[in-house]
Amino acid sequence: MRGLLRSLLNSAGMHDIHEAADGSAALAVLAARKCDFILCDLAMQPMDGLEFTREVRRSKISANPFVPIIMVSGYTEKRRVEAARDAGVTEFLAKPVTSQSLYSRIAEIMERPRAFIRSASYFGPDRRRKATENYAGPWRRQDDMHDLEVQ
Amino acid sequence: MSKNQIIPPESYPQMVSKSEAARISRALRSPEAIQHGNRVIEDASHALREGVRDYVRALETVIGDHRQTYEKAHEIRGFAETAGLAAAGRIADGLCGYFDEMEKLGAKPDRNVIALHVSAIARAAYAEDEAIRMGNMVAKELATLVQRKLAETAAGN
Repeated sequence: MRGLLRSLLNSAGMHDIHEAADGSAALAVLAARKCDFILCDLAMQPMDGLEFTREVRRSKISANPFVPIIMVSGYTEKRRVEAARDAGVTEFLAKPVTSQSLYSRIAEIMERPRAFIRSASYFGPDRRRKATENYAGPWRRQDDMHDLEVQ
Repeated sequence: MSKNQIIPPESYPQMVSKSEAARISRALRSPEAIQHGNRVIEDASHALREGVRDYVRALETVIGDHRQTYEKAHEIRGFAETAGLAAAGRIADGLCGYFDEMEKLGAKPDRNVIALHVSAIARAAYAEDEAIRMGNMVAKELATLVQRKLAETAAGN
């Protein structure tokens, strides 16, 4: 699968690609190089895609906690997608991968970079995907307005 | 209480400028880029099929081990369709779904249901042309069988 993704990226003109066999190796790559985005699988060993994402987002030594992460996975059940979102994944790409699905995810992270949220229990892209400009409530939590600070 | 913080995209480093992002996005969404990508997948399909068949061979050897059976079937459902073996992928997806549902029900998967799926995946992974249509029919029949088995299991609980 890594080979196919590389070929698809090459085909779209992206040639500076660094591969890693697992989460730990990928963290080492990130520490050594500036990456524009990450494509990672959910099922990796010994560090899986969720743990890897949490490391990238929350580790004190993370080189770039804002880097977009596209998680590729055959696990498409709602709970798995939600777990990926809660770990801090930017986009979810369900297998089977097509050129259109891959390119549209990359286009999405470039065109519409997401705001990040930092809270006591979460750091990652805003999990609310659709922002309505004129939305005046009701808010989901009573204390939303008190607890929110725009940087 | 500590405040939650929203960090807008303008407040952290972006990959490229807005205009460059728009240009690259347009190129990525263009029919030409997608056609190029489809050709890359077509070119890789022979190697991908061999990869799927390697997983199928491994699947056939681990049939008594539910965890390993699930893992192999999961790999097959992940890229069989990309390799042009859609029926094999669909049947593997059905098998993974069966394992997931049985786990939710707290029940042990039926050995015969697993064996039927594994055998059907193997046949579909080697199917050509007309046999692919047969594989799709088998996938539908197995999905019906799984639904019936799940209903029986749920009723038994």
